[in-house]
Amino acid sequence: MFERRLYHHVDWALLAAVLALCTIGVVMIYSTTADPTRASSHMHLTQLYAIFLGLGAMALMLMFDYRTFTDKSHIIYIVLLAVLVYVMFFGKVQMGARRWIPLRFFNLQPSEFAKLGVALVLAKFYGENRGAPAWAELGIGGLLTAIPLFLIAREPDLGTAVVLLPVFLAVAYLAGMRMRVLGVLCLCLVLAAPVAWRFGLKDYQKTRISTFLDPSQDAKGAGYQQIQARITVGSGGLSGKGFKQGTQGQLRFLPVAHNDFIFSVLAEEQGFAGVLVALGLYLFVILRALEAARLAKDRLGSYLVLGVLASFTFQVVYNITMSAGLAPVKGLTLPLMSYGGSSMIATLAGFGLVLNVRMRRFTN
Amino acid sequence: MIVVLFSVLAVSFWVLQVVQHAKFEEMAENNHQRTLALRAPRGIIFDRTGHVLVENRHSYSISIVREHTKDLNRTIRLLAAVLRLDESGVRDIVNRHRREPTYQPIMILQDASLAQVAAVTARRLDFELPDVVVEQIPTRRYPETMAAHLFGYVGEVSDRDVADGESKSGDIVGQSGIEKTYNNLLMGEDGAKRVVVNSVGREIRTLDEDPPAEGKRLQLTIDYDVQKAVQDGFKNSGYNGAAVILDPNNGDVLAFTSVPSYDPNAFAAGIDRATWKSLTADELLPLQDRAIQGRYSPGSTFKMAVATAAIEEGVVTPDFKVYCPGHAVFFGRSFQCSLSNGRGHGTVDMRTAIEHSCNVYFYTVGNMVGIDKIHKWATLLGLGEKTGIDLPNEVQGLVPSPEWKKATTKTHEKWYAGETISVSIGQGAVSLTPVSMAVYISTIANGGTRYTPHLLKAVDDGSGWKPVPAPAARSSVQLKPETLQMLHDATWRVVNGNGTGGGARIPGYDVSGKTGTAQVISLEGAKSAKGKTEKDLRDNGWFVFFAPRDNPQIAGAVFVEHGGHGGVTAAPIAKHVLQTFFAKREGRPLPVLPANPPYRNPLMKAAAVTAAGPNQN
Repeated sequence: MFERRLYHHVDWALLAAVLALCTIGVVMIYSTTADPTRASSHMHLTQLYAIFLGLGAMALMLMFDYRTFTDKSHIIYIVLLAVLVYVMFFGKVQMGARRWIPLRFFNLQPSEFAKLGVALVLAKFYGENRGAPAWAELGIGGLLTAIPLFLIAREPDLGTAVVLLPVFLAVAYLAGMRMRVLGVLCLCLVLAAPVAWRFGLKDYQKTRISTFLDPSQDAKGAGYQQIQARITVGSGGLSGKGFKQGTQGQLRFLPVAHNDFIFSVLAEEQGFAGVLVALGLYLFVILRALEAARLAKDRLGSYLVLGVLASFTFQVVYNITMSAGLAPVKGLTLPLMSYGGSSMIATLAGFGLVLNVRMRRFTN
Repeated sequence: MIVVLFSVLAVSFWVLQVVQHAKFEEMAENNHQRTLALRAPRGIIFDRTGHVLVENRHSYSISIVREHTKDLNRTIRLLAAVLRLDESGVRDIVNRHRREPTYQPIMILQDASLAQVAAVTARRLDFELPDVVVEQIPTRRYPETMAAHLFGYVGEVSDRDVADGESKSGDIVGQSGIEKTYNNLLMGEDGAKRVVVNSVGREIRTLDEDPPAEGKRLQLTIDYDVQKAVQDGFKNSGYNGAAVILDPNNGDVLAFTSVPSYDPNAFAAGIDRATWKSLTADELLPLQDRAIQGRYSPGSTFKMAVATAAIEEGVVTPDFKVYCPGHAVFFGRSFQCSLSNGRGHGTVDMRTAIEHSCNVYFYTVGNMVGIDKIHKWATLLGLGEKTGIDLPNEVQGLVPSPEWKKATTKTHEKWYAGETISVSIGQGAVSLTPVSMAVYISTIANGGTRYTPHLLKAVDDGSGWKPVPAPAARSSVQLKPETLQMLHDATWRVVNGNGTGGGARIPGYDVSGKTGTAQVISLEGAKSAKGKTEKDLRDNGWFVFFAPRDNPQIAGAVFVEHGGHGGVTAAPIAKHVLQTFFAKREGRPLPVLPANPPYRNPLMKAAAVTAAGPNQN
């Protein structure tokens, strides 16, 4: 249980940086959605509630030793799979995808929590083994990742599903997986790509990728968002157009500005200066969390931190790249800033685990 | 590795936001700013007393802006359904403008009904037709569809004029009449408005506005009531024709009409193909301005020109007498006099010959004067040349001469003296426009000054009315007093004596005039071949007049197509015009013609059917 002295080992700097990013996110959400004439003007408030819920989840994660969670990880994992299966059949359909479970106050998106579940179960699985993982262990770890990945991809939510891959790769790499194996895996991916292109991808996913290669071929359709993202970012300039003064986000040239493209809005309204601040905060958060992994008292702890951090880093880097129109548009949110309750709660809970590992580095 | 990744990201943003900032800023502005043209209203046109003749109204146009269109076919389909238009027609319009820049609106409907505007607006609010815009534009309105040929009509500028650099594509310019002649004055300067629009094209707010400047206002020499009287007169008679009424002291055009007419309002908002086709296919040629573009034999109205030549050249005096037995033989050919019963006028002098329109007298005198002198004096009186009226496309009349014949015949034939005989009574090759006939009688009325008829009296560019000086007289000859005395006496007697123009008599106003009844020779061959009845070949009627005799205030020519005797059909129209003119001048109530005309043109029933038929297609 939580001991008083542990309080002093909480990484307040990391927590502060995380909260700073949350604050920037809420401000940007307010900027793009608050409009007394529109019904959606309460979105920034919803986000605030989500942050408080997330802080609650973070506190919950801090209360128990992280080993308590990893010990129960198989149960958590099975519950997770059950929920994902439930979503597949009974989930709420929105924008053509079945991703949500409607709760009383908000829609829960279980796939966001899958990242934590997979990080926990992989940390546990590899943490208990010493030495470089054998082929069989790699295969089991891969399977543990592949099952939820497959379920999520079927929703369909390819973006969130793919985020599980770095979790596995990071933990397996840390556990001693040889670079050669990684090479083989990459080769498999490359070989699987045409097959996936042929059978696995939906049409809209194909167009997204092909328009990324040449956005102007379809300036009105799929390439539109990418071009608009570049315009949004580029027109921001050095110091930005000012709070609520953006035109691209405010006038809806950029779709889902409060969500997937929140970073573009930041770039537009706060300019390169704002971008540097946010990038710096994210970099600080990631490096600080890596430090937690290094300091962890056991392999389990560092695997867990890295698992959590892998999906976070992947999402941050990918989303920011996409926000500048430099990557294909995918429904990947920017953790801590994008609008979305489930994502916020899961991410803060994940940082709860990271703080937990660092905080308990001296305990037995 | 993470640090490297983030550095790469930072550099990427730096490239986008700082290095390429200008380019993207411009793109963002193009995204959310639109420049909308604000059409300038054309200048309002007034009559000489301030009565509004042509004004503007608001009309709504519906256009497609393809800039943000995702599925053009869907937009066309939906829009056609909402507007209840033919889909293929809408598609044709879009295809015609396909190569224009996408931000340029393609106008689908120029004068939309309020129901159509409401239907589109409702769909726009539902984001169903985000790429369709409704614009309010000023459109020409001709409150009473009077004097269509005089005002003319407006329409979109032709590609050729755009190429000339006179106007820009899409401009509405005058295509005929006053609208064309004074287009540069009437056209205002379009303004522009920069607005912020959101991603579905809805206007959020206005950034700045350059208001349009209205065109200059014009005051015409036209008198609304006189104009109305002319048109009422024609309507009452049931005939087609033309009339030009002038102030003989300066050339002010008081009234100007050509019948049949058309509705210029149909052109103001873009004429549809069916209406245009029916107008151009109509055998009665409603688009032709008979007053300046129709050429007709003047008949006996020409006799004053011959008389003037005879006296001025000293060939005869007004007292010269001829015996009229009802016909006369010249160069071996017999020529009839004007009386239908074949009887003669007996011995007549020049005054009596004009009063009774004796042909034999003028055959004789014309033969004595010769074609060259007839041509010289007819021209001095304003015939056979363009009058120079400020309307486009005036045609030149013809008073024949030996030079003309030599130049126009293939074998350079010379003039035969026998041809002069027909010319002497306004037949043969003589063909004149009604407007030149009005100048002719004005010149006779004022004693020899050939004014240029003109319509523009004053211009107001916003700083008050500035009178426009009347154009200089074309020529001025001092007619001998005896010529003038004779002409005024004779024309007075035509109306007030025992002459042919009694239909225009107004006691106390000394109306002077001359009737004319001209054979429709040129039409004969063509029309009879088409199996037309004799009535189609009925003579054209003329009445030229001025009043009062001693101090002329008004002069004019009334031409009645197939009107038969000018004294019967044309003179009553002139009478109504004169009564209106004097009543207005003296502040008396204006005369009103009976609603049910006492007689109607027997031709008009058949003609009305052919005229109405294609119009309904």
